[in-house]
Amino acid sequence: MPDLIIDGRAISVPKGTMVIEAAERLGIMIPRFCWHKALGAAGACRMCAVKFVAGPVKGLEMSCMTLAADGMVVETFHPEAVAFRRSIIELLMVNHPHDCPVCDEGGHCLLQDETISGNHVQRRFPGRKRTYLDQDLGPFVQHEMNRCIHCYRCARFYQDYCGYRDFGPMQNANRVYFGRFEDGPLENPFAGNLADLCPTGTLTDKPARYTSRRWDCERAPSVCLHCSLGCNVTVLSRYRRVARIEARDNEAVNGSFICDRGRFSAGYEAIPERPRAGLADGRPVPVTEAVAAAVSRLAALAESHGPGSIAVVGGLRSSLETQAALVALAGAAGWRAPAFFGSRQEQAATKAALAALTPARARSLAELGQADAVLVLGVSPLYDAPMLALALRQASRAGAKIIVADPRPVALPLPFSHLPVAPRQLPAVLAVATGQPDQAAAEAQKRLPFSPELWPVLEDAARALAAARRPALVFAPGLAASLPDDDRLGLFPVLPAAGSAGAALLAPDDAPGLDELAAGVAAGRIRGLLVAEADLFTAAPELAALLGSLDALVVLDHLPTPTVAAAKVFLPTATIFEAGGTLAASDGRLQTAAPVQPPGDPVVRDGRGSHPPRAYDRELPGTDPAPAAFWLGEISQGLGQKAPRSPLAAVMAGLPALAGIDCSRLPDAGLRPAFAGPRPDTAPPAPLVAEAGLAVVYDEALFATDDPGRYAPLALAQTAASPVILLHADDAASLGLADAMAVAVGCGDRFVPAVVRLSRAMARGVLVVPRLPEFAGLPPILGPCGLRRR
Amino acid sequence: MDMWLGVLVMLVKMAVVLGVALGLAAYMILLERKLLGRFQVRYGPNRVGLFGLLQPLADGLKMLLKEDIIPDGVDRRIFLVAPAVVAGTALAAFAVVPFGEGLTFFGHTVPQVIVDSNVGLLMVLALSSLAVYGLALGAWTSDNKYSLLGGIRGAAQMISYELALGLSLVPVVMHARSLSLSDIVAAQSGLPFALMEPVAFATFIIASLAETKRIPFDLPEAENELQAGFHTEYSGMRFALFFVGEYVNMVLLGAVTAIFFLGGWHGPFFPPIVWLAVKVLAVPVFLIWTRASLPRLRYDQLMALGWKVLVPLALLNILVTGALLVLNA
Amino acid sequence: MADKKPSLVGEIVEGATGLIGSYAATLTHLFRKPVTEQYPEYKRPMPERTRGRIILTRSPDGKERCVACYLCSGACPVNCISMQSEEGPDGRRQAAWFRINFARCIYCGLCEEACPTLALQLTAEFAFCKDDIADFVYEKEQLLVDHGGRHPDYDFYAHAGVAAGGPKGSHIGEDDPVDVKSILP
Repeated sequence: MPDLIIDGRAISVPKGTMVIEAAERLGIMIPRFCWHKALGAAGACRMCAVKFVAGPVKGLEMSCMTLAADGMVVETFHPEAVAFRRSIIELLMVNHPHDCPVCDEGGHCLLQDETISGNHVQRRFPGRKRTYLDQDLGPFVQHEMNRCIHCYRCARFYQDYCGYRDFGPMQNANRVYFGRFEDGPLENPFAGNLADLCPTGTLTDKPARYTSRRWDCERAPSVCLHCSLGCNVTVLSRYRRVARIEARDNEAVNGSFICDRGRFSAGYEAIPERPRAGLADGRPVPVTEAVAAAVSRLAALAESHGPGSIAVVGGLRSSLETQAALVALAGAAGWRAPAFFGSRQEQAATKAALAALTPARARSLAELGQADAVLVLGVSPLYDAPMLALALRQASRAGAKIIVADPRPVALPLPFSHLPVAPRQLPAVLAVATGQPDQAAAEAQKRLPFSPELWPVLEDAARALAAARRPALVFAPGLAASLPDDDRLGLFPVLPAAGSAGAALLAPDDAPGLDELAAGVAAGRIRGLLVAEADLFTAAPELAALLGSLDALVVLDHLPTPTVAAAKVFLPTATIFEAGGTLAASDGRLQTAAPVQPPGDPVVRDGRGSHPPRAYDRELPGTDPAPAAFWLGEISQGLGQKAPRSPLAAVMAGLPALAGIDCSRLPDAGLRPAFAGPRPDTAPPAPLVAEAGLAVVYDEALFATDDPGRYAPLALAQTAASPVILLHADDAASLGLADAMAVAVGCGDRFVPAVVRLSRAMARGVLVVPRLPEFAGLPPILGPCGLRRR
Repeated sequence: MDMWLGVLVMLVKMAVVLGVALGLAAYMILLERKLLGRFQVRYGPNRVGLFGLLQPLADGLKMLLKEDIIPDGVDRRIFLVAPAVVAGTALAAFAVVPFGEGLTFFGHTVPQVIVDSNVGLLMVLALSSLAVYGLALGAWTSDNKYSLLGGIRGAAQMISYELALGLSLVPVVMHARSLSLSDIVAAQSGLPFALMEPVAFATFIIASLAETKRIPFDLPEAENELQAGFHTEYSGMRFALFFVGEYVNMVLLGAVTAIFFLGGWHGPFFPPIVWLAVKVLAVPVFLIWTRASLPRLRYDQLMALGWKVLVPLALLNILVTGALLVLNA
Repeated sequence: MADKKPSLVGEIVEGATGLIGSYAATLTHLFRKPVTEQYPEYKRPMPERTRGRIILTRSPDGKERCVACYLCSGACPVNCISMQSEEGPDGRRQAAWFRINFARCIYCGLCEEACPTLALQLTAEFAFCKDDIADFVYEKEQLLVDHGGRHPDYDFYAHAGVAAGGPKGSHIGEDDPVDVKSILP
């Protein structure tokens, strides 16, 4: 533990800490461009020079390149250091263009800050400025190379941190250029971070281009809703529209970065189609009337057919507050407990996956990046949880072995072994890989007799996991029952949606699955349905098909889903940007999202023509949406229940893992509850039998396969025109299909057009289809006639 | 018959005096604003009518149309009457002011005075003392601390300077051997008392300045300490009554100064009425000039001047005058 | 002198000269020509830097100078300026709408100081009245003029170096673009 003195203040830091980082711990911000806490130092900018007055190093040195050592005395404001930094900023500004007014970085630009603080006001250099030609880097990042100060942050992030090679430095000396070899979209699904990282306006956020200055935006800490990892984001909103989303530091979860899905999937809160008015029987009514209609219909139904005739469906993109309000409402009214998951098995598996996360075994995303062997089971990191891929990349950079067992073709920016096995074989892979390494070969032959090419890979995996000091297992919830009981092996589940963990934590054990509700509706036992922030047409197509036969269908939502269109009574809810809320990440971590903006039509649409309205004394249009939990409370009151002031606190108090946690006072890094471990009564799910046909595996795309992201215009624009399904080349040969062939996929009683792509990097006997609403009705095993040429 | 004619003549005289006094007061306001303007190197009102001559009309109309605000917590009756007391006493004093020798119409000699009282001088003093009631009552009933302070200052100041005012007139009476204003004027057919009694004249002018509460003696309404002093709560026509009262007082002061010290209507070459008009107007012009020139006194200076300078000076002057008269006799 | 009590005569003389002096001063003023200007009939020419109504000027080539950089609205102490930036058809950054509420403006000129493109300028026009206070809210069309105001020659885009103002390397004081594929030393 080196002890040093910086600006007269003593600090003790761990060995290996750079002086700049030690200063930061004291709250001293040494000017820097190239140093970034996630990327480390490059020594490229010379901006962080400080004076070492005493100790092992003497004189003017770069604080980002100097390890903190015992006895160091550092002066950041030594006249020599200040003068040096001033001349450095002057040199950096020699070629910087005179375009701050039209630059989007202006207002949060590190170069601006350092220029001002360096008191550089007059360009003394009489020479001409260097210029570069810019490139089109795709829809997310804007390139303006003239502004570059060559700090190499972008290149280090893009190539070293993420592992993508299509963007980087070129040329030499005074001509160094950061770009691609030719114009084209960046391949890196984390490229949006370049806009955050770049200390100048060279790489800026293209969708947010020319929308706002940072000081004009309302900003609030929020949590990403677009996968289950719960990355922390800062949401910037202007004129009641989310202008930009930036990564927010959380060392335990996402570090300093987020993926492009999280960054560019907002916008659904401001689409014109968003339902903003209460509806009763298809006509717009004041929201109070809609609440009254919901109450009277549900009460009448409970009166005539008993409370058991009403079922409740909760969404997997809701905050814990909404989910708890549903549980509380259904419990107090005596209705069936809310259904969040497709089936009871799915719910039990998710609950089991979370319950397994005892403090000893739970790993955060950051800890995953420090693992030395990771086995990923049933998860395609880049698409099911993009930031997981970045964490694995960091582990891999440090020498970890990464093994991914998944039926889908997996692409990762890191060296890894892929085990393309069918979903039903995953428990076997898990058992072999985590078993005794010297028996792995025999076990693999026994349990996976038809895949000889996987045997050596499995044996390697078992060896690597056994030899590792910090092995970790990333798994889909379906494997929760098969987890080995080994405390050495860290666990990190990846769940289907941002609200999955919350639903699993809060849902009562007797909560039905959506399949049961469908059966109940078909049998006439269920006559009324209350749906909160869920789209039945994607979550449960068989239930959605029966909606017409219901007596009462009350829907609460903020997305224009087909369920909303079918609703008899509708109440508009607020998005996470307007309501905020508590969310549980896939490792159970509870985090708070603050509301950013008021609900209401964005000014852009509110105005007439190019101007926003001039009258200021009128009511704001579109402000009816309220948090779903509020509407549920209103309904609860209307039904005469004595609702608790905070249903979430009330529900959590009754759960052993969550009791005693105050969701209004969560720490900045979030709070991971201490789970007790798996319950012994968890029965392993019935193994999928190998029927004749293709097992259907759903695949996420980077954009627009998650529920809110599907309604985000920018994310939607990144999707392919025609859905692509994937098939193993051998299966295709037996079916007589060729690559890029137009096919029709049987989906219930209709056929959906798609394009088939062949791959050899995936499991046999599996059909990979994108997670899109039109494919929601596919059976688990697609029969031989379910796929045909078009 | 004669009696009715007498009443008629009296009514006509009253109408004329009232009209002239009020008209003069109104145009005194304009004169003050114009003169102050020029003293301060600007124009003064010059927009309403030619040279701003209709400004008093516009002001009057404005005042009439303003809302008459009566605050909560005031004693309504006193509040309503107080301004009238101020304006009324000032106007009433004109009853004893002569404007010239008697005029002869059809054999009847009509004196150019409403009442040629043989105690006219006392009447003037008495009425000017009464004005303090309007001020003090209006101030007290406004239920406002600034008004009350202004009223107290006003009452103290007027009572203090009343003494000097009365004493400064004693030599005049001693010379004229009469309290009738006509007789006093007649006594000045030769030399005006201002020249005979310069000390009494100076004392009188200073004391009457204080009586009219004008700069440098405007402590009752010192706007930078007391908002508007005793008439803070008054608005519209009631405020205008206070205002008009002040200017009627200025005209009255001009008239009595002319009569007591400047020889009334006596003068060479010009008809008596012209002389009287010139003398009556000269005093307000001097007051306005004073307002443009001098700063406001401090309260202790005000009291010291009244009690320690003017009263002893006036008493001394009486003594000297009496001695001289005795010696002359 | 200061600690010596002045004599009575001295005091009287001093008081008298004070009185005479002040009366004399006002009397001389009476005969001076008033300094007042008769405003509506005679409008005094205003100094060049008078801070009156705000205009948005154009560069010498007739294009809008305002790039909607938000600096004026950021500098405005009373928040009377609002705007929305957008990319114009020629690639230049411009204001989709630009609004100044003159009913709120205090004519402090901080916006003019902040304006980096010399687009926003305060003019000498100071007297403009409206029946409806909402009419004081000026839109971009009302603010735009067709001249360059006090700085007729300045063109921001000739200096800025972004491609919207002309090809890279064609701006004032710029080198030709770097050839990233050249192998010359």
